[in-house]
Amino acid sequence: MARTLAMFTDTSLCIGCRACQVACKQWNELPMEQPVWTGSYQNQNHFTDKTYRLVRFIEKPQPNGELSWLLMSDVCKHCAQAGCLDACPTGAIHRTEFGTVNINQDVCNGCRYCVSSCPFGVVSFNHDTGRANKCTFCNDRIHNGLGPACAKTCPTDSIQFGFRDELQAKAEKRVAKLREMGHKDAQLYGADTKGPLGGLNAFFLLLDKPATYGLPDKPLLPQRNVFADSLLSVGAALVVGVGALMAFRERGGTGDGDA
Amino acid sequence: MLKSPEWHMLIVWYFFLGGIAGGAYFTAAIADNFGSSRDKNVIRFGYILALLLIGLCGILLILDLGTPSRFLYMIGAFKFWDPMSIGAWMLGLFGLFALVSSALSLSGDAGKASLRRRWGLVGTIAGFFLASYTGVLLSNSALPFWTDARLMGALFLASGASTGMAAISLLLFLSGDAAGEGFKKVKRADRFAMVFELILLAAFLALLGSAAAPLTSGALAPLFWGGLVVVGLLVPLVLDFVGSKAKALGALSAALVLAGGFILRYVIVMANA
Repeated sequence: MARTLAMFTDTSLCIGCRACQVACKQWNELPMEQPVWTGSYQNQNHFTDKTYRLVRFIEKPQPNGELSWLLMSDVCKHCAQAGCLDACPTGAIHRTEFGTVNINQDVCNGCRYCVSSCPFGVVSFNHDTGRANKCTFCNDRIHNGLGPACAKTCPTDSIQFGFRDELQAKAEKRVAKLREMGHKDAQLYGADTKGPLGGLNAFFLLLDKPATYGLPDKPLLPQRNVFADSLLSVGAALVVGVGALMAFRERGGTGDGDA
Repeated sequence: MLKSPEWHMLIVWYFFLGGIAGGAYFTAAIADNFGSSRDKNVIRFGYILALLLIGLCGILLILDLGTPSRFLYMIGAFKFWDPMSIGAWMLGLFGLFALVSSALSLSGDAGKASLRRRWGLVGTIAGFFLASYTGVLLSNSALPFWTDARLMGALFLASGASTGMAAISLLLFLSGDAAGEGFKKVKRADRFAMVFELILLAAFLALLGSAAAPLTSGALAPLFWGGLVVVGLLVPLVLDFVGSKAKALGALSAALVLAGGFILRYVIVMANA
């Protein structure tokens, strides 16, 4: 595998211009959709089959009663341990040589198990194609040395693209500096490869708790219990089997079970 | 901010009928191996019901995909840790078991009967799998309630058993074979499965705690408590014990068990629809 690539979204630099969202739509030829009233400038509640990058606009009350913006350009996290990838029964969802997670549209059969297996609710079902889709990490661009469209277009470098290890080091320096500057809730989300889901290949610097941005504090791999759940089912099968055996077994030598 | 897979009625029907198919198959195979010639119709009905239902199950799943030919993409991968992938393979394997067992159950030949028993014993594993994997599939998704339901597979298995046995007993009743020993035995097995299902359901809710709210206190709660617990489990058990001599009551009890099995899949799937 090639050196892992990543995107680092530093929300402290985001100005909410949505250039990333537009560049993503343009490059991926994602059609128009009805905007949703979200109570702020955010145009969709969540990712859709036509929105792979979404700038979140969160209004946070200040001690003086005024509101301040928290802005975050959200995207598929390209988890190192990806629930969607584990769930996919056809192998359409695969890991690329750069460590990103991609859906091969030609192989997706529209079962939607991945949709229910993403701990972030990223994967969407496209009713027109009958297939699941999500951010591709601009797979076509990164194979041609261009970098994802969102990162390329970001005017403030809030979205940075590069080698994961280099970006992680950069992010750690940046969060230390922000804390020094008094942003006491500044924190990295998904940067640590020893953290939840083995680290996220699209990781973030947040200025508040993950829950404020609608992110789970500690995302879990949905498949973590598959062995235990299966064993419990085997146990139930034994009980049911013995019950049926007792019911059908002939007693008192009247049977002719060997006939 | 999680997303629903938008699994609706086709999937509810599949979970329900797949459970019956698995349950009917392993019931028939156990009767075949440990019962007697008096269980002949239990065996025959069980195998053939499993075959017909698994065919229907395949159609339901293919319809759910929208583009039928895409079902074939499942064959392009085999992931033994993935309930959906292994489920698709086992669906085909179970179909093969049911087909051969059904064919062999039509013959009275002793040599074929011995082969059928051994074949059925191996197929029992596929039957248990089919009845339970759909629960494990749901409990290994990221969605609330489903993801916390450790006993979902076990519960589906018990329900597959009780509904599979109920379906066989109903077929025996409708074919005028309710007076035989087979009917009595399959009802006895069904009572055991129902009691076990009730115990599992209590443990299922206890382990879930507040995560069970979509079932126990939401919009689906009346259906869950009234439809599944009372009409689908408690009433049939009472009918069975009170009216163990009256075959019609036994048949009514079986019909209610089937309704309860459907409601179980319905409320669980719809909790995240």
